[in-house]
Amino acid sequence: MPGRALGAVAGGALVAAALPWLLDDFLVSLALSCLMYIALATSWAMFSGATRYVSLGTSAFFGLGAYVSAWTVKAAPWPVVIVGGALVAAAFAGLAGLAILHLRGTYFAVLTFGMSELTRHAVTYGEKQYAGTVGRVLTAVPSNLTVYFTVLVIAIAAVGVAVAVRGSRFGLALIGIGADEQRAQTLGVPTRWVKVAGFALSAAFAGAAGAAMAVRWTYIDPMAVFNPFIGLQTVLIAIVGGPLSLTGPVVAALVFSLLAEFLRLQFPYAYLIALGLLLIVAVLYLPYGLAGLWRDRARDERAAAR
Amino acid sequence: MTTPALAARGIVVRFGGLTAVDGVDLEIEDRALVGIIGPNGAGKTTFFNALSGLVTPASGRLFVGGVDLTRKPAHVFARAGVARTFQTPRVFADMTVEESVRFGLEFAGRRRRAERAALADVPAILDFLGLADCASLAAGAVTPARQRLLEIGMALATRPRILLLDEVAAGLTQTEVRSMARLVRRCRDELRLSVVWIEHAVAVLLDAVERVLVLHQGRALAEGAPAVVARNPEVVEAYLGDGAAEARS
Repeated sequence: MPGRALGAVAGGALVAAALPWLLDDFLVSLALSCLMYIALATSWAMFSGATRYVSLGTSAFFGLGAYVSAWTVKAAPWPVVIVGGALVAAAFAGLAGLAILHLRGTYFAVLTFGMSELTRHAVTYGEKQYAGTVGRVLTAVPSNLTVYFTVLVIAIAAVGVAVAVRGSRFGLALIGIGADEQRAQTLGVPTRWVKVAGFALSAAFAGAAGAAMAVRWTYIDPMAVFNPFIGLQTVLIAIVGGPLSLTGPVVAALVFSLLAEFLRLQFPYAYLIALGLLLIVAVLYLPYGLAGLWRDRARDERAAAR
Repeated sequence: MTTPALAARGIVVRFGGLTAVDGVDLEIEDRALVGIIGPNGAGKTTFFNALSGLVTPASGRLFVGGVDLTRKPAHVFARAGVARTFQTPRVFADMTVEESVRFGLEFAGRRRRAERAALADVPAILDFLGLADCASLAAGAVTPARQRLLEIGMALATRPRILLLDEVAAGLTQTEVRSMARLVRRCRDELRLSVVWIEHAVAVLLDAVERVLVLHQGRALAEGAPAVVARNPEVVEAYLGDGAAEARS
């Protein structure tokens, strides 16, 4: 299975790497959006899917990464900008996690949402106060191709780390926390640190993605990069795809990014309605997402073959 | 005098204005088999929660193998060799029986390999409990009686020194209760563990253990040999009632 997963990741990466030479600009920007959501949904599922701590904080980490990029892109080498975005987001998630990861369920979800809003307002205030502006125009940015490959690398890293975590004791600890946190603790899991580390690791990818995407937009303001829609769409993709599966969020990220673009242009309202309905159906009937359907069918076939 | 495996001194647990455990002492020697009884709301499970680090006592001290673990989180107790079960089995429903047992071996049990050679691996633990034939079933899908055994198996996987059993015989049939009592003794005799056992079925418990602590309204009402405690008038008054006293004679 790890061999097959590696093959699938390598194959997908090769195809994605060839796209800039095969497609026109519009389709490449679509592919970029797919890659971004692969990174966001995969890293979200790695923590929130396993532990069932549903975080709506992705927007905060993404936005922080974007602002790190806006502040440093002129002065620092590009890889440093990306890593800086990841580290700032991870550090912020770690600190926030220390404060709020003892809350479960709705309380945690609402607080992470509040955290995103708080971050957005804090950045707005800081920019007004010290830079005298709200938005920033980014000039002298890397080429579109550089951004595309950066996001591709972030997506590959997110999937690779998710695969590695899945097979590790750390990943087992996350699953145990999702199954029964107190029980896991009485079996020797240092739950507090595992949660904080998992939350920070997951946030690092959102921060990196934000840092990379910021330069693509050339003009950013807090409203755009701390957009709650990014966080909600990430949660939706991961839940509909299958929060406990590795392939589910990846496939769902592809499907939804494409759907989002086409439907949003053609039928803006129908798209949001469809998203809402899908989320309701997934939460009510598909706790393991579409990947769960796939898994059940595979199991039935195995049972039938016996 | 040797250091007790577990020592609790003056444990007080409060929930808001309610004092659930009110200054209880308990010493568990190596390979002791001790029972705790008491009416509903006597503070038995809360006392276990304190002994396993799940609740922090308002006052009192806890020592495991002579080391002061007061106010430490539950995973530190697990790593020091304190394992527990829960009244309602809390197995990992989506994992298989085998995976559920492996979990403890991967965490608290990992550093305690040398101390409990009898609990070498998953098959050894499943064999000990008679669960080998359902190793690959989902933990949530096995019968309630087997979930209780699995609950004990998950605790044993931490390779403990002290095993805290919270009403492991509740809801079992007479036959199952007797085999559970045998299993509890085997944990002590074959695995050489200290066992503390809370049970509502008083008669079974008094037959199985060597020493019993009676809790009543959060306080220790009596402690001693089962036969002596069962005749203690205060205990009879508070908890056992005439029926249980007759059942013992």
